[in-house]
Amino acid sequence: MFKREMKINLKSFMIWTSILMLLFLVVYLVYPSIMNSDSVQSINAMLEMFPKEMIKAFNMDISSIDTAYGWLKTEGFVFVLLLTGIYSAILGSTILLKEENDKTIEYLNSVPVTRKKIVFHKVACAIFYIVLMVLSVGIFNFIGLTLSGDFDKTGYLLLSVTPIFSSIVIFSLCLFLSTFFHKTKKTIGISLGIVFMSYFLNIVSEMSESTEFLKYISIFTLADIRNVMIETSINPLMIVFSIGITILFITLTIFHYDRKELV
Amino acid sequence: MKNKILEIKSLTKYYGKILGVKELSLTLYGGEIFGFIGPNGAGKSTTIRSIMNLINRTEGDILLNGKKLDKDDIKAKELIGYLPSEIHLYDDFTVKEMLDYHESFYKNDCHKRRKELVEKLKLDETKMVEELSLGNSKKLGIVLAFMHEPKLLILDEPTSGLDPIMQQVFYELLREERKKGTTIFYSTHILSEISKICDRIGIIKEGQLVAIETIEEMQKKNLTFVTIKSKDISKIIADLKLEIKANEENTIRFKNDIPLNQLIKVISNYKIDKLLMEEATLEDIFLHYYN
Repeated sequence: MFKREMKINLKSFMIWTSILMLLFLVVYLVYPSIMNSDSVQSINAMLEMFPKEMIKAFNMDISSIDTAYGWLKTEGFVFVLLLTGIYSAILGSTILLKEENDKTIEYLNSVPVTRKKIVFHKVACAIFYIVLMVLSVGIFNFIGLTLSGDFDKTGYLLLSVTPIFSSIVIFSLCLFLSTFFHKTKKTIGISLGIVFMSYFLNIVSEMSESTEFLKYISIFTLADIRNVMIETSINPLMIVFSIGITILFITLTIFHYDRKELV
Repeated sequence: MKNKILEIKSLTKYYGKILGVKELSLTLYGGEIFGFIGPNGAGKSTTIRSIMNLINRTEGDILLNGKKLDKDDIKAKELIGYLPSEIHLYDDFTVKEMLDYHESFYKNDCHKRRKELVEKLKLDETKMVEELSLGNSKKLGIVLAFMHEPKLLILDEPTSGLDPIMQQVFYELLREERKKGTTIFYSTHILSEISKICDRIGIIKEGQLVAIETIEEMQKKNLTFVTIKSKDISKIIADLKLEIKANEENTIRFKNDIPLNQLIKVISNYKIDKLLMEEATLEDIFLHYYN
């Protein structure tokens, strides 16, 4: 069953990973020519005109965008976080529910396999692909940055794994939500809403002290990018939180799915 | 004493406030084919889905070989073969891959039986599942339900989509299974199938089981239907104290509860254009329970 899950989810993994890699490939090809031109000064001048809150929200206060690594730390990582988040949300809301949506659950339920095992195989496959996506993009960027010049390798390695923490939580939350529905159409919309809302809250929470509390309800706080960039270390509390929340949602999924009416 | 294979005890299922089945109890014995009949919406699928644990029962128990049938009981699941009325399988598989995948769930070797069934049903293993016609999907469903040699077969409208030749092959397959001691729960609304292959039938009406009888018992009820055509039909209706109306052709048809002597005595007073007395068919018996 795990093998089958791997096979049917391979295509979407390849598509999403390719999109991210293609995006960064363009950056690595174009960035040196922009940075070597006079336009870099006008970009810096333009950025100085932005409010400080805005600059902080995009981490531009702790990193400049005059190198490929600098761009990756500020804007580039937004794409990694968002796209891995969206991929995880779609996986979470469809991997289990697809069987009901396509009515194949009537068959799967009739063979000697427990519902817990169904959830286990699907979760194992999804987490494998999420981690593989983050690592693949991480390795791709590592090669790209190495070819683009010098950069802080330790800082980058830590930064490159941070999307795993937010993505597995997004996946497990969407997986749990999917157990309340019978059709994937509804859950995909809700799941994408969670990702974008969460990212928006994360941005707003960085803007001022009065909005800082919003970070406690944003899943992207768990990626903890800002801290990784400043301290060059991952806050262990965030790792514990993300793994803990993921285990909690998967446990709730098993519990609820076990009692769910499947047709 | 016959061994009990499947016991349904006081099964009740409500979908919110809507009744699915109510206090349904029945027992299936080893090696019998039990016909479960009723029109659409009577509760046949609800009963089957409760047995298969696809839905949660409001009340009641289901026992397989005397043991409560739990949704996570793998050993019990290995003993059941299930053919749903509508087959939904994995479109990205070929028939061969689908059968291989099915085999992977079972501990016992089902390859030999699979080959026999594929040959018997003339199933093309190279075709993609999504390309299969309704009849071929049904054939694949039959192979999937039978290939692991289950002790209990649950079949929901199994012949829909099969051509008449394949239907005969399928009936033969059922007879073979019965000989081997397999118990078969056969849900259908096609009454002609029931008399061909079933040992007993259960009739379900509005979520409740209204009768369980053997085919012989049903046919021994001596139910007769009488058809009379006469210009004096309204007088005959009055004399026989029937609560029916004649049609435009001055004809009536009714289930006869009147002693024959009395019936003949009454109608002999009138000019009769047509008189027909016939034994009840299975359809008539079915309607008798429904009216």
